[in-house]
Amino acid sequence: MTEVVVPIGPQHPALKEPVNFKVVADGETIVRLELDVSYNHRGIEKAAEQRDFVRVVPLLERVCGICSHSHTTVFVKGIEEAMKLQVPPRAQFIRTIVAELERMHSHFLWLGVAAHEVGFNTLFMWTWRDREAVQDMLEEMTGNRVNYGTNEVGGVRRDLSPDEIQAALKRLPRLEERIAKYAEMVSKEQTMLLRFKGVGKLSKEQILKLGAVGPTARASGVDYDIRRDDPYLAYADVPWKVITDTHGDVYGRTLVRIGELQQSLQIVRFCLEHIPAGPIRTNPPRAAPRTEILSRYEAPRGELVHFIRTNNTDRVERLDIRTPTLANWTSVAVSLVNQNLADIPVVVAAIDPCLSCTSRITVVNERGRRIGEMTWDELSEHGRAFYRARGRR
Amino acid sequence: MTEPALKPDAVQDALGDLGTVETVRWNRVKVSTKIEKVREAILRAQSLLACDHVVQISAVDNGKSFELIYHLTGPHRMVIALAIDIPRDKPEVPTTSDILPPAGIYERQIHDLLGIVFRGHPDLRRIILNEDWPANEFPLRKDWKMDPNKFYGGVPPEVK
Repeated sequence: MTEVVVPIGPQHPALKEPVNFKVVADGETIVRLELDVSYNHRGIEKAAEQRDFVRVVPLLERVCGICSHSHTTVFVKGIEEAMKLQVPPRAQFIRTIVAELERMHSHFLWLGVAAHEVGFNTLFMWTWRDREAVQDMLEEMTGNRVNYGTNEVGGVRRDLSPDEIQAALKRLPRLEERIAKYAEMVSKEQTMLLRFKGVGKLSKEQILKLGAVGPTARASGVDYDIRRDDPYLAYADVPWKVITDTHGDVYGRTLVRIGELQQSLQIVRFCLEHIPAGPIRTNPPRAAPRTEILSRYEAPRGELVHFIRTNNTDRVERLDIRTPTLANWTSVAVSLVNQNLADIPVVVAAIDPCLSCTSRITVVNERGRRIGEMTWDELSEHGRAFYRARGRR
Repeated sequence: MTEPALKPDAVQDALGDLGTVETVRWNRVKVSTKIEKVREAILRAQSLLACDHVVQISAVDNGKSFELIYHLTGPHRMVIALAIDIPRDKPEVPTTSDILPPAGIYERQIHDLLGIVFRGHPDLRRIILNEDWPANEFPLRKDWKMDPNKFYGGVPPEVK
């Protein structure tokens, strides 16, 4: 029996620590997965205890590159709840706009990477070009493409001028057109149907048992969305609906994310058109009273939780961050067992779009002697060749 | 605001004999219980209160003792927090990874950073800290100081 150990990782931009999957495979079938996340732990939770609320927000923006707005929003809304601050509605709307634009750029990025892993590079180029339009909007509104620096305790730091709102509204129709095209393409394109359908399947019972969150859970029919269940920002005032699907495989996760792209665009348009007038911030007190807050937020990848404990000073006593991917790892490890080796790129990309290109696959025989290596790109190529040889089944 | 389908009184009826129940917010209930009763409380929350999703296990070092807070929720959208206090000199808790499968990975993380031992956990290997971090050094404890004579990973001093 030849066992193959496939290390996947360890760089990962969406977490406070990168993840490394060690996939053990027997021939073409995956036997089990081992997790290793001990790379590059930066100790942000400890560092957050030594800074005041003004300085901790830019630090938390650096937890993650893609969900940077999520981490600051969930923290400032927890602190505002502890201080019993009333944030002006205009600030809430601006935060909602940035949050939904961030969700759009994260989902576009994911769709492009998933397409790239199945060898459909045309779609990868298209989605990333459309993602540029979203990032241009973010740059016009906040000044930055990645770490927007919009939030602070008590409101937002930059107002939207009428010209910016008009410029953003002008970009939306073209994006809507493109998203409709992708929605049509996903249900018809043979390349994607062949590689996504029935891959990484998880039933509703498995999802609930393993505690998965976000699009991964909603693709299996689990109807959890923090934006509706525990309303925050301006979501209670905006018409939108939760997207769920019953496929439970990578195809279902794709449909959920494309549906969320359409919903996010509607939310952004509604907020831009109905943004209330008024101030964009209130002056917060220096210190927060002694309390503990569990602050929940629906990040692009799922439910993000900050547990904040304050103690009458201008610093947090404890900040405990539970990121969505931490909750999703276990489910992915389970959904990959007894799948084909060729499906690893797709299933892993279904939660995590950024993999280290330097990953190596070491082929060992049963005495542990190394007899060859493959890079990640060669594994992707192997996946394509495997399905090409099998034909359409 | 959609009111959660679960009322605080239902939590009081189900878990009232295991600890004190207080309503923190319109959709948050906190139950302060004891170490030996925490498994019982989780099982009851799963069976009587239909909790099917663990949100987070928060671990806090408040200087005098450790606190673990299990946040559970379900289709009723109410978050139930089960708080326990753990003495510093004997930080041991029975594991909940067999009744809450996602808790396995959270408990490994808490064990790694705070040194709380989960009795009966199948696999308490290191998960967060790098492999050359010294043993018995728990960086999230409030009294933890960096020892200048120890090597905490990274580039070894003789290489610099």
